[in-house]
Amino acid sequence: MSIDSTSVLNAQKLSKAVEGPDGRLVILDDVSLNVDRGASLAIVGASGSGKTTLLGLLAGLDRPTSGTVALAGQQLDALDEEARARVRRRLVGFVFQSFHLLPALNAEENVMLPLELEGRDDARERAASALDAVGLGKRTHHYPHQLSGGEQQRVALARAFVHGPELLFADEPTGNLDQRTGAAVTDLLFALNREHATTLVLVTHDSTLAQRCARTLRLRDGRVVEDGA
Amino acid sequence: MKPLVFAARSLRREFRHGELATLAAALVLAVAALTAVGTLANRVERAILASASELLGGDLGVNGRRTDLPETFSSKAAELGLDSSRIVEFSSVVFAGERSQFSEVRAVDPTFPLRGTLTVQDASGAQRTGSAPAVGEVYADRAVLVALDSGVGDTVQLGGRDLRVVGEIVTAPGGSVFQFAPTVLMNREDAISSGLLGVGSRASYRVLVAGSEQAIGRYAEWARGNLPQDARLTTIEDAQQNLRTAFERGESFLRLAALLAALLSGIAVALAAQRFARRKTEEVALLRCLGASRSEIVSAMTLQLALLALPACLFGAVIGLGMQEMAFYFARGLLPGDAPGLSLGPALSAFAIGLAVLFGFALPPLLRLRDVEPMRVFRKDLETRVRRFDVLYLLPFVVGGVLILIESSSMRLAGVLAGGLAAVAVATVVVTLLLLKLLRAGGRKLPGALRFGLANLARRRALTLVQVGALALSLTALDLLAVVGPSLLDRWRADLPEDTPNYFVLNVQEDQRDTFEQRLDALGASNVSMLPLAAGKLVAINGKTPQASDFADEQRAGNWLEREVRVSWSDTLSPSNRIIAGNWHGAAPAQAEMSVDEGWFKLFNLALGDTMTLRFGDAEITAKVTSVREIDWDSFSVNFFMMLDTKHASELPHSLISSFHVPPSPTGMAQLSREMPNISLVDIKAILDRVRDIIERVSSAVTWVLGFSLAAGVLVLLAALASTADERRFEIALLRTLGANSGQLNAAVLGEFAALGLLAGLVAAAGAAGTGMALARGVFQLPDYVPPAGPLAVVAIGSAVLVMLAGLAGTRRIARTPPMLVLRHGN
Repeated sequence: MSIDSTSVLNAQKLSKAVEGPDGRLVILDDVSLNVDRGASLAIVGASGSGKTTLLGLLAGLDRPTSGTVALAGQQLDALDEEARARVRRRLVGFVFQSFHLLPALNAEENVMLPLELEGRDDARERAASALDAVGLGKRTHHYPHQLSGGEQQRVALARAFVHGPELLFADEPTGNLDQRTGAAVTDLLFALNREHATTLVLVTHDSTLAQRCARTLRLRDGRVVEDGA
Repeated sequence: MKPLVFAARSLRREFRHGELATLAAALVLAVAALTAVGTLANRVERAILASASELLGGDLGVNGRRTDLPETFSSKAAELGLDSSRIVEFSSVVFAGERSQFSEVRAVDPTFPLRGTLTVQDASGAQRTGSAPAVGEVYADRAVLVALDSGVGDTVQLGGRDLRVVGEIVTAPGGSVFQFAPTVLMNREDAISSGLLGVGSRASYRVLVAGSEQAIGRYAEWARGNLPQDARLTTIEDAQQNLRTAFERGESFLRLAALLAALLSGIAVALAAQRFARRKTEEVALLRCLGASRSEIVSAMTLQLALLALPACLFGAVIGLGMQEMAFYFARGLLPGDAPGLSLGPALSAFAIGLAVLFGFALPPLLRLRDVEPMRVFRKDLETRVRRFDVLYLLPFVVGGVLILIESSSMRLAGVLAGGLAAVAVATVVVTLLLLKLLRAGGRKLPGALRFGLANLARRRALTLVQVGALALSLTALDLLAVVGPSLLDRWRADLPEDTPNYFVLNVQEDQRDTFEQRLDALGASNVSMLPLAAGKLVAINGKTPQASDFADEQRAGNWLEREVRVSWSDTLSPSNRIIAGNWHGAAPAQAEMSVDEGWFKLFNLALGDTMTLRFGDAEITAKVTSVREIDWDSFSVNFFMMLDTKHASELPHSLISSFHVPPSPTGMAQLSREMPNISLVDIKAILDRVRDIIERVSSAVTWVLGFSLAAGVLVLLAALASTADERRFEIALLRTLGANSGQLNAAVLGEFAALGLLAGLVAAAGAAGTGMALARGVFQLPDYVPPAGPLAVVAIGSAVLVMLAGLAGTRRIARTPPMLVLRHGN
């Protein structure tokens, strides 16, 4: 299998099935895709179409039943969870629908996490400037429960970009926010993406958000039914 | 909604989740431990009472002094369907040719003995069960026969009559271990006809009755109302005090162990119920949203608990009964007489306590569910309104307190235990809050993963307090059982060291002192103590003749005022005595001084500085009370209510009393008895052995009950870990997603759990040491007990390691779950 030198993410014949009470349930069926460095891809589809499952497999959060994923040239299916964690730490950033900030840590400490996991000494300084960049320079010592939804998602964005990942995976990043806040977060997301020249893969229901991506991949019942700009 | 149907359906499904299984297991353990110990204690208690009635020779005694009891005391017994027997006891000299022996004579009628067995030995050494001697015959103790140089078949003279010795007494019910002369058993007819009971005979008369418990109760009630002056009742509780103390102390140990197991189970129940309630919050919000009323929610929760509790408690009771049956089988050898039947009372009360533990500890978190807002269905972050104070939270403490009070069988044990555990709870809160404050201030300097782990403790402040509190209390209980309990038992065992006196010797005369001491040396005797003994009458207190009616306990005071009291003197204080007021008089005070037992001090309303006058034949001595002593009556040493100073008392007419330990020798003591026929030897080895045996068996029984407590402790640990498992599961998945490796995850988990475990372990070790010292002083009367610091420290560190490993094991499973699964299900 050859991978284009500009490709940062390549999936071949990805399938995911689980055993349910009524027998085998196929969630994702024979999905292949290639994402170029610096590109932006929106994965869309109805609920239960397999979007989040695909995102999880592409990010190495779960293992496919069959098929392969290569992330920045690394074959994820050949790696154990420990090695996949190392790849994520170095190359990947995440933004979630429900923010997933650690409630035990304040904003700055949440942003420091990826840097600390890498063992970097300048974690605090870099986290502070990342929070500055998302407009929360004055709220560094606030805990998640002291921040609004929009602010929490901005902290999550700072955390996603702070260690300069090659790829950013976002799962319904505006799903829990009102329209105005959602639009502001989207603007920030794309601005940071441009600034850091990150490859963006996001899952969304929001057609406005999907349209801002260079490419859209539509899933139905676990299969790709549309792939285009 | 039909709460019962809903509860039953939901219970089946919920059982898989673990909290309810923890709840059920905790209940089974609590009820099993309480049933086993309660039933065993009940049977042992009944066996002791039965053996005490053997010692007394009946189920109840009426003792008259100087004059025989009216015939109505026998006819009333017959009327109530009771057997009765009349006994006369007096001291007399028995002769055989030129030889004589001062003896305690017991003259019995043909119904003797009502309880217990009279065993006699014939000339050939063969033993048989006997009844009262026939007219013209006697049984005698070996000491009498040796002193008289006679044997079974020979004739002796008593009260001017020739009586044939038909047996040597091996065991005879109704005597006292510490009587002052060997026994002769004769027929009551002979005693009456010989004139031994004439005026001035100083005989004491006794009617013994035996029969059903109910009839005895009625007889006792009647007798109390018809007691002649100077007569008193002797119940079986009064008898066998020495052995009883050992059993009671043993029972306290066992009850303490069972109680701690039950309290531990309560903690596990509380933790499991809390987690169950948290998980049920969504479901309750939905039910509320769908229209379920608060009372329906509460009913469903309560019913669910009841459906779970009834079979669990029943199962626990069955296990407990099975275990006590096994334990009783092993303890059987200690208890003379027939095995008392199985009583279901303790099992039923354990069952009820199980239910109380469940509802007391589990209801508060579950009842809080009635406050869940239906809006939570839409907004998961909507917290249930936090109340600063909820009276419900007092419920577990009330239940725990009542439980301690009921089960501990003594207010003192209950108080010490409740106080100790409360102190541990308070100390835990204070120390934990301090640590969290320190973490907040200095935690930022710690490396990332460790800081994250410790920050978790600070964030879940309330839960951390609950977790550390539960762990500290359960570790205190385990420390008490595993470290303090055994060392207390060791300390108790040390009360009866190898050289504990196994013989008492009375009537040694001053001129025999040297020979006697040489003989003891030759026999290899150790721990020899020899004290003078003078018998006198208390004739004045502060110069005034005391009357029984002057004192609150008129009967007891009267008894002492009438009889001769035995006093001694010494320069030094015996190790089994402790001065609790005043100062020991020492060797040669200017005027006569006296130290008094604390019981006597209270009985006669004495104050330090009062004077007491004692008459010894023609001699009289007036001494000032200068100290009060607490006496350890279980020490098997010679002790006296009154101790005079040597300088003023040494000229009083007296004999010597000695206690010592001699290695077992079949002939040595018999030889001594032959050489010095006037002395009385009292062999207390049998009772000593039995007390030692009880200590050993209590130690092994405590180990059994410890098993329950350890299991309950593990349940607490699991429940405490499970209470934060869901949150931890999410956090670990997120850290994994962000690329944390196992080393980093482990550091976070280890940091958090090591802090939890170490904190709980240290507070528990200190709490157990303090509670142990208080128990030793206040309950077990072992004032010089010092808890072993080394083992407690080892347990503290060991528990930190254990909590850490348990946390790590729990986390390992979570870390293997693909992070995707966790994140999809959200926080």
